[in-house]
Amino acid sequence: MEAVGVKVEVVSKRFSHKVKGEVWAARDVTLDVRPGEFVTMLGPSGCGKTTTLRMIAGFERPDTGRVLIGGRDVTHQLASQRNIGFVFQNYALFPHLTIGENVAYGLRVRNLPDSEIASRVREVLALVGLAGYEQQFSNQLSGGEQQRVALARAIVIRPQVLLFDEPLSNLDAKLRVQMRHEIRELQRRLAITTVYVTHDQEEAMAVSDRIAVMNQGSIVQEGTADDLYYRPASAFVAQFIGRVNLLPARVESAAAAGGEVTVLGQRVAVACLPTGARAGDAVRLVLRPEALALRAAEGAPALPRGTVEGRMFLGEKVEYVVRCGEARLQVVSYNARPGELLAEGSAVAVELKGPDIPVLPEERP
Amino acid sequence: MASVAAPEGPARGLAWARQDPALSAAVLALWLLLGLFVVFPLAMLAARVFWDGGHFSVAGIGAILTDRHQVQAFWNSLLLATLVGLLGTFLGFVFAFTVARGGLPRWVVTAIDGAVLLPLISPPFTTAIAFVFSFGPRGLITYELLGIKGFTIYGMGSTLFSEALTYFPIAYLALRPILAAIDSNIEGMAMSLGASRWRVFRTVTMPLCIPGLANSFLLLFAASLADFATPLILAGNAFPVLPTQAFLQITGMFDLRGGAVLSLALLVPAMAVFVLQRYWVSQRFYVTVTGKGAGTAPFESVAPGVRWVLVAACVAVTVVIAYLYALLLYASLVMAFGANHALTLRHYGVIFTEGLKAIKDTLVIAGLSMPLGGLYGVLLGYLVARKAFPGRRTMEVTSMVNYALPGTIVGIAYLIAFNDPPIELAGTALVIIACYVFRYGPTGIRTTIALLQQIDRSLEEASESLGAASGTTFRRITLPLILPAFFAGLGVVFIRSMTAISATIFLVSINWTLITVKILENMTELSLGPAAAFSVLVIAIVFVVIGAISWGLRRMRAPGAEPVTSLLGG
Amino acid sequence: MNVLKRLAVALSLPVLCLAALSSRAADTVNVYTIWPENWARPMFQEFEKATGIKVNFVRFSSGEALARVIAEKGNPRVDVLFGGPVETHSAGIKEGIFESYKPPSFAKLPARFKHPDGQWVAIADDPLVFMTNAKFLQENKLKAPASWNDLLNPAYKNMLQMADARTSGTAVTRIFSIVEVNGRDENKAFEYMKKLRPNVQLYTKSGGGGTLPVGLGQAGGGIFFIVDALDTKAKGYDVVISFPKEGIGTAAEAIALIKGAKNPELGRKLIDWATSPAMQNTFATHKINFLPAHPDVKVEPSLAEVLKDAKIFPIDADYAGANRKRMVERWIAEVLNP
Repeated sequence: MEAVGVKVEVVSKRFSHKVKGEVWAARDVTLDVRPGEFVTMLGPSGCGKTTTLRMIAGFERPDTGRVLIGGRDVTHQLASQRNIGFVFQNYALFPHLTIGENVAYGLRVRNLPDSEIASRVREVLALVGLAGYEQQFSNQLSGGEQQRVALARAIVIRPQVLLFDEPLSNLDAKLRVQMRHEIRELQRRLAITTVYVTHDQEEAMAVSDRIAVMNQGSIVQEGTADDLYYRPASAFVAQFIGRVNLLPARVESAAAAGGEVTVLGQRVAVACLPTGARAGDAVRLVLRPEALALRAAEGAPALPRGTVEGRMFLGEKVEYVVRCGEARLQVVSYNARPGELLAEGSAVAVELKGPDIPVLPEERP
Repeated sequence: MASVAAPEGPARGLAWARQDPALSAAVLALWLLLGLFVVFPLAMLAARVFWDGGHFSVAGIGAILTDRHQVQAFWNSLLLATLVGLLGTFLGFVFAFTVARGGLPRWVVTAIDGAVLLPLISPPFTTAIAFVFSFGPRGLITYELLGIKGFTIYGMGSTLFSEALTYFPIAYLALRPILAAIDSNIEGMAMSLGASRWRVFRTVTMPLCIPGLANSFLLLFAASLADFATPLILAGNAFPVLPTQAFLQITGMFDLRGGAVLSLALLVPAMAVFVLQRYWVSQRFYVTVTGKGAGTAPFESVAPGVRWVLVAACVAVTVVIAYLYALLLYASLVMAFGANHALTLRHYGVIFTEGLKAIKDTLVIAGLSMPLGGLYGVLLGYLVARKAFPGRRTMEVTSMVNYALPGTIVGIAYLIAFNDPPIELAGTALVIIACYVFRYGPTGIRTTIALLQQIDRSLEEASESLGAASGTTFRRITLPLILPAFFAGLGVVFIRSMTAISATIFLVSINWTLITVKILENMTELSLGPAAAFSVLVIAIVFVVIGAISWGLRRMRAPGAEPVTSLLGG
Repeated sequence: MNVLKRLAVALSLPVLCLAALSSRAADTVNVYTIWPENWARPMFQEFEKATGIKVNFVRFSSGEALARVIAEKGNPRVDVLFGGPVETHSAGIKEGIFESYKPPSFAKLPARFKHPDGQWVAIADDPLVFMTNAKFLQENKLKAPASWNDLLNPAYKNMLQMADARTSGTAVTRIFSIVEVNGRDENKAFEYMKKLRPNVQLYTKSGGGGTLPVGLGQAGGGIFFIVDALDTKAKGYDVVISFPKEGIGTAAEAIALIKGAKNPELGRKLIDWATSPAMQNTFATHKINFLPAHPDVKVEPSLAEVLKDAKIFPIDADYAGANRKRMVERWIAEVLNP
């Protein structure tokens, strides 16, 4: 089947909430998923990602805006008319049907001949590694197996679009990592346009071509994983994706490309400043823990001083918490050799690895 | 966000109707039926009470409601209902606790279940009759056994005991799953912290049961409030109660309006109980009954001495019930109970000749009410629990009205509403069937809603996403999963169609009559033999049908679907 | 394709079927009978044998039957109200539910057995009696009560059952009997009833409600219609029937044509037959112990034997009709709930 795109055009939806009154579940959400692309909507719970996904599926109807699949307006179509595959958080396997019947369900609804149903069910169960499970019931299966059945049931109908709603959140950590690889691989193989919802940024980064970060009903930034990590457009994105030290700074000079800022009492060159930033403006630096390095205090007189307040040794890396004036910094150090570990309480100098440090404007309240 | 996405969402305009024509057809049909069989009769009843010669009038109402005798009856009703609620709940709890924690052998539990089921499936006044013959001035027990002369049976005491014995199984069935669902590990845990058994019971078990106890108290209160047959036989003259007074006002004093006024006075406590139960108790259930077996409880949660007391109490009550019904069976098999104890089958001969029409009519009516009531319960429960449409809440509340009202009110309302054109149904089986469907179908509605709350909405969404339209989804996914509710609804409607009398005594006609009415009539005609034989027949039929339904349920229940714990709960 | 729609159709389908079912046969007369089924059924079978007209009937107590006829006034379901003490029919006249009809026997009947306009006509007569349990009498060394005052004996304390005036015509006839034997001195009559009250165990809803308890010995005795008392005896219960020397009342059993009846011709035929010797001659055959109302019908010998020395007087219909409501209300206020 030819892969098709999914377009969500300025879609809004409001709910009345018993306590909060009218709340926007989605507000002017626009999302463009290209044919065959794997896009993840990422955000904290209550950000509107699931509502948006359910509007794409047809389980909810938007108050305003349109949903297009393959260029066709499906806003007023029922879920059953949209030819989508949906994988639920709780798997939603039909408990009164066998695994085989669960997978065959969508094909039976389409009135396919029995022989074709049987062969397609067999094929797809083999594809998800559950060959021979046809006669089992879902309560005899493990969580991971149930999720594979749910996946098989969704793809066997050859949907135009595959939708995932937090599919891995009920699985244990190890299985979660394994399943997300399987999902990614399967999606590549089948080249089905996919929209995926999760609150787990690592999962999002692992599976997606592109990520749309959502907050309070709106998409706040879209991009590839590295885009979002290295070039966050807001403090929210910076904080949501990866760990970060957000440090207040002041612009010293601004040039066409980059400039200089003062942070922790030190002048640092940056590759780019917020648009229209002028000398004297307050800004914030997005300093990832690995963008900081700790030096012995004696050998680096020009660097800001700090004290190690905490240390966690994790094998391949060491995480420090360093008190530096008013700021408490998270610092990650890789490849530390035995004997080079810094003790708690030791004085250190903090080095900023410039110049590609993202700079955010001071956020107006 | 998913929690907010419940169908509270406003369905704007009539978009919902165009969107899903099947839904709108079903909603429209249900509204028509509810309007016709719930709203319309009540409106006609109110009109009869408040409308006098073309204008609003309360004349005469005051006279009836301030009559010393009727006021006394009102308070007596409340007192009786309260005491029945307390005593019945206590008995039900003792039974439920003993069965759940007593470590009884299986066959004992089965025997208790069987005996407890008897009062539930027999016409409401059967125990009252057996009571008179056991404890009256010449009762088998009071006179023959104990030699007490001149013992007065008529009054509050015997009415209370007879009603408590009749209705405590409701409490037992409501409390048993709750006690079973309290993980005995919690009790074990409390005990491991050094608490004594009594302390565990007082501080852990009881508090967890309180919503269940409150619920069963209210159920029993309502049942007693609506019962007119037991007081009719046992209350005597010193203890008038309102439902009986309303019945007598109509049948004795030829006063339809007075009876309607009195029955409306019952409306206040009945509605209060319903609202309490629905919006207060139901919100406070700490224990979710999942149907998941909690395994057998450890022996140690009850001290051996206490255990024997509990078991002895249960056995004693069970024996009393068994005795009362054995007496009924005996009365059906002797020439003239109390005078000529030669064994005979002539009473059965009588009911199968002269009573054959009543038996046929009852079976036709019960047979039609059963599937209709079951279907109605499942359909309305499903729509209300799962679909968004305007007036959803109103529909739910409306559907519960006939169920919450005492039968006397419903019967009188139907009698008034359906006698004359435009909707002339009096004299047809339909009016009785409708009465049963809309009065007892709500049990199915509640079971369906409760079951659907345990079935995640995503199952239906999954079906839709796989291309199934709403009808197909209902048929292939929802319906199989709520089959237990459907069968429970079937069972309740059938049992009630066979045994109820309070509403339908006003609705039997020249063309259609009912066994229960025949039983009451035979009692007043002094034909105890046929009355007993009819009762035995009803019990036998109900046992067979309920047995068949349970069997079907066990066979059809797919692995993974929720088992239904009781056909009669709620 | 559409299950919901199909369900909706399924729900409304039986409505149509049943509507079609409720049609009536043409040669059938519909009747509410106040006589118990075991007496009414043989009568109607005799009627069908004699005329070929089928009787479709259902039995209600007098109050219930009357309440129904009143409720159905706008659209009557039956053609005839059969049996029941005449005071039930008197109450119905005020509601305008009857159609006057004078059957051929009308002229022959004594005045107390017919309404002057033919709103009702009597088909039988039913005197009250005292009925006591033989074993109870023996145990308490009592003779069968032969006077109203015998019932005041403390030996009967809490052991009498009789009908409740709110629901039973038997009770109303009893009250008027007491008023009559007290020379229509109401106060004296109520004085007596209040004195009797402690001996009453239960006021039963229906007139015959106490006969079985008396038969079983649950109660020692009571005041009943003779038809119920003799029936109890016939069932094998050891009871004694007696009459007070002061006299006791009797009530006519009546029949009436319903106004607006769907089959008035058939209804009239039933009334013709029931008020004639044709029916009343069969009472004895079916062991129904009513006294015939028609003067040409002889009282069955064994029944006549029971009544041999009894002093029985008719209740004055005009006096009873005028005072009934007041008496019942006074009874409720002073006797039932003192």
